[in-house]
Amino acid sequence: MSEVKECDLPGIGKKFTLELNSNDKLVVVIHSSGEREVFKFIEDGEEPVSVTKLTDEEAHQIGAILAGTYFQPVLEEEQKLELKNVTMEWIKITPDSNLANKKIEEVDIRKMTGVSITTIIRGETVIPNPRSSETLQPQDTIIIIGNNEQIKNFISTFEIKHRLEK
Amino acid sequence: MIVNESVLSLGISLLALFMAGFLATRINQSLTAVFIIVGMILQNFFPVTIITEFIATLGIIFMLFVFGLEFSFTNVFNNQKKIFYSGCYDFLFNFPVGLFIGWLIGYDLIQSLTLAGILYVTSSVIVAKSIIDLKRSANPETEYVLNILLFEDMFIAAFLAFIVGIANYGYFDTRAAFFVMLKTAAFFAFYITASITSKKFIDKIVGINHTELFVILILSIIVLSAGAASQIGLSEAIGAFLAGLLLSETRQKQKILETIKPFQQFSTAIFFVTFGMAIDYKHAGNMLPMGVLLFLISSFSKVYCGYFIGEKYRLSKKAGLRLGFSLIPRGEFSIILAGTIAMNHTMPYSLKSLTGIYVLLSAVVGSILVNKSDWIIKRIVEKEGQGVQ
Repeated sequence: MSEVKECDLPGIGKKFTLELNSNDKLVVVIHSSGEREVFKFIEDGEEPVSVTKLTDEEAHQIGAILAGTYFQPVLEEEQKLELKNVTMEWIKITPDSNLANKKIEEVDIRKMTGVSITTIIRGETVIPNPRSSETLQPQDTIIIIGNNEQIKNFISTFEIKHRLEK
Repeated sequence: MIVNESVLSLGISLLALFMAGFLATRINQSLTAVFIIVGMILQNFFPVTIITEFIATLGIIFMLFVFGLEFSFTNVFNNQKKIFYSGCYDFLFNFPVGLFIGWLIGYDLIQSLTLAGILYVTSSVIVAKSIIDLKRSANPETEYVLNILLFEDMFIAAFLAFIVGIANYGYFDTRAAFFVMLKTAAFFAFYITASITSKKFIDKIVGINHTELFVILILSIIVLSAGAASQIGLSEAIGAFLAGLLLSETRQKQKILETIKPFQQFSTAIFFVTFGMAIDYKHAGNMLPMGVLLFLISSFSKVYCGYFIGEKYRLSKKAGLRLGFSLIPRGEFSIILAGTIAMNHTMPYSLKSLTGIYVLLSAVVGSILVNKSDWIIKRIVEKEGQGVQ
């Protein structure tokens, strides 16, 4: 994340400066009247190369579009859980799954794929940190954690088809 | 009799103001300058009456009230260091200019101080408008321009209180200065204490819902405060300014502003016309060169000051010069200063006429200079570049 510089413009409003990765600068001026102005500066240029005026309402719309709440790209949900390359996945155990009715120690998930099961969701009950003696039942949802490689490995090893969107 | 004539002349003045103002907005000129010119023309048709003078006084009062109302202490506290330093540079560069010239042309100390204030204070109205029109609000120099304006406005409010106090006192010596300063400080302290300690109480009083009574209540606060200031020998304007400050922290601020704005716009326009009517331009032939000289010197000192501040804060040469050019236009505050101080007309240069000519030049030519500053600065920077080669 780049740093946002804030600055008061007495009598006009507030100025926010954002240095972009591309070395360009975006400056947003919020007028006390509610009007917004967005300026683009290229590299070290001192005069803006473009100015866009927005009403309060337009600014809200644009803001929502930029924040991704107006239209949600598919990537978003997966990325939310990505903490330094660690991913969590929700996996539904189907009756025909390789894992159904097996004890965790039996299939030896951690050793084979590197993935850990952090939680089992069985109907209304939630089993956090399940023991290795726990049996995975059909209709269970398991939450697994691991890096991208390990998750992929897990999915291919056990031929998982039901990754949940949540 | 005087009332009947006044009504007709007021109507004519307003129509003239409208037509001139309409043309002015077409060519993007400052209304202040145009209103003064209208006044200069109208003086040939009817005299200033006691009634127009009274409305003009209300104009100053309302203008200062609105100015106090829109003043934000939070802004000052958040940026006090920046405001203080750039404001002080601006003051040190530009205030002594008028003091020195005043002394040269034979003004006494009170008049020289007034002239110093007139030449020093930039027009917030013209400059803020040009920043928005020229889309400069994101430029690096703009925050310095606005901080300087804030400092100047604060200074001139206190200065106005002081100089009117001194002028009412009649003469200037250490005792008078001390006495007036004490009075001014006490008056300021009273309002600031009131705004801090009785915030809830004030909020409750102005929270009245009845529209008609609300207008009357707010007007009474403004005019009473102005009258009280005048009673103890300070300027009415400063009383109104402090009333504005007092109400600026209330929840009703926006409503007060909307209510008072029409009164302010009307009476301030009349104030500028009345000022224009008092400019004796037929006998001002010898004053024109003086006005031009004042304009050139004070513009140069502003530009140089901007350049200096730019160097100090590591802005580029272009940005520094643009900062200086932005500060050239003078306007409403210079007129208020000249208009409030009762002047001795036996002086070689009547301060009112001189200020009128000066502000006209500065507002009109100054605005053009600000608009064309990029072009001018490019020339200056290119020339220097060639000089180095």
